[in-house]
Amino acid sequence: MALLEVIGLTKKFVGVVANDRISFEIEKGEIVGLIGPNGAGKTTLFNCIVGYHKPDQGTVKFNGKPITGFKPFQTNRAGIGRTFQIMSISGSLSVSENVMVGSFCRVSDSRTARQEAAEILNLMELEQEAQARMNELPIAAQKRVGLAMALATKPKILMLDEVAAGLNPRETEEMVALLQKIHAAKDLTLFVTEHVMEVVMPISQRIIVLDGGQKIAEGKPRDIANDERVIRAYLGEKYVEGRKH
Amino acid sequence: MPMHALKDALSFGDLPASERIGFAIFIAFCLVFPWISKGSFAQAVMIQFLIFCLYGLGWNLIGGYGGQVALGQAKNVGMSAYTVALFMVWWDVPFWFSTPIGVIIATVESFILGYFLLRLKGHYFAIATICVSLVWQQLFVNWDLIGGARGVELPLKETPNFVYMQFTSPIYYHYFAFVLVMGAILFMNWFRKSRLGYQLRAISANEEVAESLGINIHWVKVKAYCITGVFAGMGGAFYAVYYNYIDPFSVMHLELSIMIALMTMIGGAGSMWGPIIGAMILIPMDRYLGAWLGGSGIVGVDFMIYAFMVMVIAAYEPRGIWGIIEKARRRR
Ligand SMILES: Nc1ncnc2c1ncn2[C@@H]1O[C@H](COP(=O)(O)OP(=O)(O)O)[C@@H](O)[C@H]1O
Ligand SMILES: [Mg+2]
Repeated sequence: MALLEVIGLTKKFVGVVANDRISFEIEKGEIVGLIGPNGAGKTTLFNCIVGYHKPDQGTVKFNGKPITGFKPFQTNRAGIGRTFQIMSISGSLSVSENVMVGSFCRVSDSRTARQEAAEILNLMELEQEAQARMNELPIAAQKRVGLAMALATKPKILMLDEVAAGLNPRETEEMVALLQKIHAAKDLTLFVTEHVMEVVMPISQRIIVLDGGQKIAEGKPRDIANDERVIRAYLGEKYVEGRKH
Repeated sequence: MPMHALKDALSFGDLPASERIGFAIFIAFCLVFPWISKGSFAQAVMIQFLIFCLYGLGWNLIGGYGGQVALGQAKNVGMSAYTVALFMVWWDVPFWFSTPIGVIIATVESFILGYFLLRLKGHYFAIATICVSLVWQQLFVNWDLIGGARGVELPLKETPNFVYMQFTSPIYYHYFAFVLVMGAILFMNWFRKSRLGYQLRAISANEEVAESLGINIHWVKVKAYCITGVFAGMGGAFYAVYYNYIDPFSVMHLELSIMIALMTMIGGAGSMWGPIIGAMILIPMDRYLGAWLGGSGIVGVDFMIYAFMVMVIAAYEPRGIWGIIEKARRRR
């Protein structure tokens, strides 16, 4: 049984079909990449799975149980963690306190939560930043904190939206290494979006490609990189034509 | 778990030394005040200050930590105050029996109202609480059975009486109010380290993110709003026996709700000491200004001054005087 099953999911906004009858499965322990140009519908698909949007049609199943229409806090408690493309956290909470908030999803005692937060900050190499406020940190550190917060809720699957957006090449590499580290350390399933294909290619065991709200391809990274429809989606008709000659 | 909670409530060890010293001075000042203060006016202002500390500490939960600008504390103060007053007038029920009932009524009203209104966002929530407050206010002004605009006078016992909380000297009220405020501070000291406290702060920082961390934001807000109601109810019950007279203008009025919110914002919403600092500045200012200008026919000067203070703070440091103090501390 697949850990996450999406069956015929459709989400329409005024004038756009952001997700058009999308189906796929994710097995426990996999790292799956979700790619597609800007506006392809990746964030919308995430939001439909975790419950920020109510899909117009389709079913989402987690661990075999339907979770369609669950609220975000319910999908999180069920075991789905997620990070945000852009996350602005104002307010007085420090980095370590924000991670504690994640821990409080499963524990009610603040001593345990504090201890868990310290362990996760250690894993994420964020000890230096523990006492800082979110808005004092550079983007790269903020993204790691977002990851740490989601991780603290002890998810079975972690969904990361635009893992590398706003990061320079070196930071992107570090992020990718970090993802592999937590995948191994926490026995996690990862579902990762990125509009820049090269970022998720090397770590994903399987890639799903969206374009214009539709799933246009799915397969091994190497096959995806040579798929004509994918190349067309990314680079346009002309490039495909040019390659033929 | 309860032992840990008690320990959290009683331990101020994580605070900087300067804060602990400030708190000790506050306690010492409150303890000796009745013995060093001269006039009865000063003592009355002091008791007012303590009542407003209680209101502000309670409002700080939903309004400060939770970031939900609720402007309806007065109706919960009023419900409890009227319960205590009317139970005594009608059935001669002592303070210690009517107070729990008054607090429960105030809390249940908070629960019902919060359950429905806390689904509204931002300004809509604030406006909705104002509307509900105005309805309650009108109801109490026009409801003759409970005294209408004339209010309710509590019958006096012949001798000072502990079960009815009737004393001739204000000292007893002073210490009782002080005990209530200390209880509120210890509660807040537990709260700020608790799961509820962290979740509430996460909600006010970013609701979307909070939801993604498994927080049922609606339910957490409702819980906080109920606790705010408990504090208001305690304050109202005390108010009734302290003044022996209540009317809709003193305990049910929107002006009181606004005063509580402004005071906490000026002192520092969402911080432990903010409400106390706010009350320390605003209450004496309000009472002495009132006494000074009272005869001259100038009205509204007090609210003009508050409005000015709020403007300065909103422009300079949204987290109030406590925000300024913290900023200075972080810079060092
Ligand atoms: N809340 C919304 N309301 C209306 N349209 C939206 C909303 N969110 C996304 N869209 C539209 O849906 C499409 C897919 O957007 P999105 O899921 O953000 O794409 P991606 O994350 O792949 O860049 C876009 O055309 C976008 O304009
Ligand atoms: Mg996106």
